[in-house]
Amino acid sequence: MTIAQQYYATLLLVYLGVNVIAALGLNLQFGVTGILNFAFIIFQAAGAYAYALCTLGPRPSSSLVAGGFQTYFWGTSLPFPIPFLIAALAGGGLSFLIGAVILPRLRGDYQAMAFLVVSLIATGVATNQIGLLNGANGLSSVPKPLMDQLGLALSDYEWFYVGLTAVFCVACVWGCYRLTSSPLGRAMRTVRENEQAALALGKDVRKLRMLAFVIGGGLAGLSGALLVGYISAWAPGSWVYAETFVYITAVIVGGFGNNFGVIIGVLLVPILFGEATRFLPNVGQAGWIDAGQLIVYGILTLLFLWFRPRGVFPERRVRFASAVPTESQPASSSPP
Amino acid sequence: MTGTRPAALLVVQNLRREYGGVVAVDDVSFSVAAGSMVGLIGPNGAGKSTVIGMIGGAIAPTSGSVQLDGEEITGLSPDKIARRGLIRTFQLSAEFPRLTVMQNLLAAAPDHPGETLVGMALGKRRWGAYEAAQVESARILLERFKMSDKEDVYAGDLSGGQRRLLEVMRALMARPRVLLLDEPTAGVHPSMIGELENQLAGLRDEGLTMLMVEHELGIVGRLCEVVVVMSRGRVIAEGAMAEVRTHQDVREAYFAG
Repeated sequence: MTIAQQYYATLLLVYLGVNVIAALGLNLQFGVTGILNFAFIIFQAAGAYAYALCTLGPRPSSSLVAGGFQTYFWGTSLPFPIPFLIAALAGGGLSFLIGAVILPRLRGDYQAMAFLVVSLIATGVATNQIGLLNGANGLSSVPKPLMDQLGLALSDYEWFYVGLTAVFCVACVWGCYRLTSSPLGRAMRTVRENEQAALALGKDVRKLRMLAFVIGGGLAGLSGALLVGYISAWAPGSWVYAETFVYITAVIVGGFGNNFGVIIGVLLVPILFGEATRFLPNVGQAGWIDAGQLIVYGILTLLFLWFRPRGVFPERRVRFASAVPTESQPASSSPP
Repeated sequence: MTGTRPAALLVVQNLRREYGGVVAVDDVSFSVAAGSMVGLIGPNGAGKSTVIGMIGGAIAPTSGSVQLDGEEITGLSPDKIARRGLIRTFQLSAEFPRLTVMQNLLAAAPDHPGETLVGMALGKRRWGAYEAAQVESARILLERFKMSDKEDVYAGDLSGGQRRLLEVMRALMARPRVLLLDEPTAGVHPSMIGELENQLAGLRDEGLTMLMVEHELGIVGRLCEVVVVMSRGRVIAEGAMAEVRTHQDVREAYFAG
């Protein structure tokens, strides 16, 4: 591999991990619990900004000092892995605040619209309040985790980052699997399927929705931190509302409610369609391919909703062990 | 009204519900004795579903009270009322279509240790045994309702009648003290209605306390010892089916609308 190819390979792998974590979070909210969160990307943004603020160091006192080319409302420098944890907390915390306002009051289309508006407002605020997060230029020179401590060559560090992403990603896949295959995951699905019936069976629907929303937001925040730790820059242009639709397309294409399907959806949508199209020869206007990507996402969503509404890998049909073996050995036995 | 009558498990007192200036339910009082099955009947628009909605917590009463086993449950949220043991079914089927029949039943298990964040995180060691026990009780129910072969079928793929049976089974999985049935035969194929009635009769004979809204008066007459008749938001008669049938107000309500 040439250096450029190697760099591109590591970039794709990091993007894959970041997108899998984010899509798992959205799947928990949308695929499992039925909350159509059109503001999903702002929770990824919250995590990314939180990571940036926790690593950039204190706010520069003036534009003349080092780092003074950018301004932000607050900053500090915390050791690895604390910024990642804070990013997840930021995503979850913002989810809690926004969820507390929107989730109990609105349902269905109205709720989706409210989320979309929240996403637009967030972009507007971050872009126009220069002193908050450096406005439209965004934050740059965000330190990479353990870069100085490891002292690796840049190409080796890229692979280290792939490993770091993989560790977080595997942990998130494992956690999501544990949640969605548990009775708690089943209770969340009853909320998606029929909220009134879930209430009538005594499910605390409000709590279940909030739980899915906050955990999903936490995953979004973590994915944002991993992304900004890799690319070292984060601006409002990275998280416009349309980015949410990339994840929604991935969840719909891959398999609503199925963690494995969501991973496949990420491979197909942002990685295959989002990246492979870069290599298409440019025909007509410059920038046509980029704009075409969003059109492709939209068409993919429509095609799947029409012809395969449960995705490539639909939610797994859960079968329960027959009574005979459960009598001889307890069904509760599981590897620790 | 004799002294030997068992204590009322569900007591509805002076329930009233207004929508703007319209009174949908006015001064409705009745009670359901423990172990009895009470029918709530009346022509369309009589306010039966509003009463069921108020008992189940989906609709807030304008005034009046609902008591379950002596405890006030008026105005509590539907999930809190359900956790106190008052479980309702719906007029329109309310199964979880993209969950299997077994998952539908397990989802109703009360106080499942695997439904909390901590319980979930601890894994099957924490909730596996409870889950296995629930699977067992679900299988017993499925056998009783002759639906064992449907265990792994998505609820959305069942027939209308099977969905009804599933909804009753699911309500039973929640171990109700009082079961509220809102038109259990609505939308059920005539060939399944007999089976549904037999199952409800079986539950009644086992002493499950039930309140049933139903349009099929034949079924109400056979199943319920006490019938409450509503018309235009009020209770106009109460007693055995044979008695209320002859009641002048009841005849007028049904024939004159």
